[in-house]
Amino acid sequence: MKIFAESARSFISSSPTARDRERAWESFQEIGLPTTADEVWRYAPLSEFVIDHFDVANEPRVRDVSAFGEQLCAAGGLVVRVVDGFLSSVSATLDGVSVTSIESATTLRGEDPIERYESDAFALLSVALAPATTILEIAERVNIDQPIIILYDATGSASFSQTQIKVGDASSVTVVEYFEGGSEALVVPLSEYEVGVNASLQLITYQRLDDSAWHVARTTGLIRKDARLRQAVIGMGAHYNRSRNDAELLGTGAENELRTTFLGAGRQVHDFRTHQFHKAQRSRSTLLSKGAVADESRSVYTGLIEIEKGAKRTDARQTNHNLLLSPHAHADSVPNLDIRENDVMCAHASSVGPLDELQRWYLESRGVTRSDAERLIIQGFFYEMLTTLPEELAALVEDDVTAALSSLQMVAP
Amino acid sequence: MTSSLKIEGLRVEVAGKEVLRGFDLFMASGEVHAIMGPNGSGKSTLAHALSGHPGYKVLGGSVLLDGVELLGLSATERARHGLLLALQHPMEVPGVRPLDLLVAAGADPTNLRARMSEEAQRVELRSDVLDRFVNVDLSGGERKRAEMVQLGILRPKFAVLDEIDSGLDVDALGAVSRRLFAATTEWNCGVLVITHFRRLLQELTPTKIHVVSEGRVVATGGPELSEVLERDGYEPFRHQNS
Repeated sequence: MKIFAESARSFISSSPTARDRERAWESFQEIGLPTTADEVWRYAPLSEFVIDHFDVANEPRVRDVSAFGEQLCAAGGLVVRVVDGFLSSVSATLDGVSVTSIESATTLRGEDPIERYESDAFALLSVALAPATTILEIAERVNIDQPIIILYDATGSASFSQTQIKVGDASSVTVVEYFEGGSEALVVPLSEYEVGVNASLQLITYQRLDDSAWHVARTTGLIRKDARLRQAVIGMGAHYNRSRNDAELLGTGAENELRTTFLGAGRQVHDFRTHQFHKAQRSRSTLLSKGAVADESRSVYTGLIEIEKGAKRTDARQTNHNLLLSPHAHADSVPNLDIRENDVMCAHASSVGPLDELQRWYLESRGVTRSDAERLIIQGFFYEMLTTLPEELAALVEDDVTAALSSLQMVAP
Repeated sequence: MTSSLKIEGLRVEVAGKEVLRGFDLFMASGEVHAIMGPNGSGKSTLAHALSGHPGYKVLGGSVLLDGVELLGLSATERARHGLLLALQHPMEVPGVRPLDLLVAAGADPTNLRARMSEEAQRVELRSDVLDRFVNVDLSGGERKRAEMVQLGILRPKFAVLDEIDSGLDVDALGAVSRRLFAATTEWNCGVLVITHFRRLLQELTPTKIHVVSEGRVVATGGPELSEVLERDGYEPFRHQNS
């Protein structure tokens, strides 16, 4: 780990918060990079991962936003640009919205991030090496009508971004996180979202990194009393796309809707992990994960619903459907339940298989060709994730997804 | 232009059992034919086999649409030759919008959304339903009205309607029947309705009624046949052909 370590040390020593970063780096070195012997990394193609292919940049490279990024920005009320973890620009000011950047932050719960992420090597790397934490804060009792767009560009070879989104009590906002760039890069976003009492955060994470990227993302949602977090995570790009999305339902009546979807092509690996942790009464979570794997791609879905003793009348549902579009593609689905309370409603379902033959026949019986029928149904996976987005924005992302899918070869297994 | 649909000696197997056992029917465009018969007589099998449903295996016979043999063709090609099947339980297709379906099915995209709205209005379907995913979260009545919107846009030469009247209230039934009847004059659409109920036939006067029993047509007559069925039931028609 010579090249990477040297660049990391050089970055850390020039930072004003070098001491904290040094501690995080040491913690990382203690646990080391994961191996496939670790259960949570079992399905990752770690034998192909060579950390010395990457080095840590001291400053971001300036680069133009892609055409799609530009369109997306035009649809937003406020655009925040983050390049390799550096807050690079904020397009405007909006009443009730503040965007700031600080060198190193505690977690949204006030914990030391090194303790919080003590067993997560990539998160520890982020704590040591992310240049700053971008903090998006929505005041109390405001409705932000126009979506806020956060554009993340990965220009360097190792790119660490940290983000905290805080929505004040009784406020509502829609945020789109869009990731691009990442050619031959390691991209590690680490995010936290806190939704205040009776507040609502609608979040769309759209990952369109280069197909050569290693993307290791982790998000944590903290949901207070009667608050609502609706999160859609769309994974298109990266060679290895790992996306861990956790939610803690902390207050009575808290609600979490999580939709994740991915499309695997070539030799991509999509690795989705979810954890819905119900800690309060009458909290509700709905999780829908749908994905398709073509060519020689693989996917893993591992989801845990955890219900704490006392979280009475919790309602938790988890659904995972995986489509196999080629005889050489593979999908694993590992749903888990850990329920310590009796008075709950909990359901989970998962499937791995080819496309629904009857849905396809229904479309064919109207004159749609087989390949168009399959394409429509798969596009539909992604469109379903966008139903809660403002129409203009949804149309934009749909067009982009459609264009990306049009080159895909589909062969029934 | 007059089109014809000619079914001869059609034999179809479902789950290892021969359900249609030499089915014959001839109809011309602009006509309304009704197929009636008891449960298990093979009515729905006919509809599904005509449109190439994957669970139905054709053992023999012929289905000619304007002289083109449909049986060897894919479901897509059958539809493109002008056959449309409207189902009792139209499938939900999450993520697919009616407009995208219709464009992919070959509908002219010019003013398509506006034409769909007009069609929706004709069957008293709320226009916003057209922006939702195909049949997702729609009531039984809405689904069947939505099928009529597709019919109005795709303008098939022949429409086969499989128990489209089941579970419909009087208003929906009236709207669907009127739309079908109008189709017979607007583009000379041939309408083949499969039904248990006379109700539909009161709104949509058939040219001919065919009574089906045990996989064959056992009686054919004019609209008056439905009154006989109403009075005497299917029993007198059973085994007539065996």
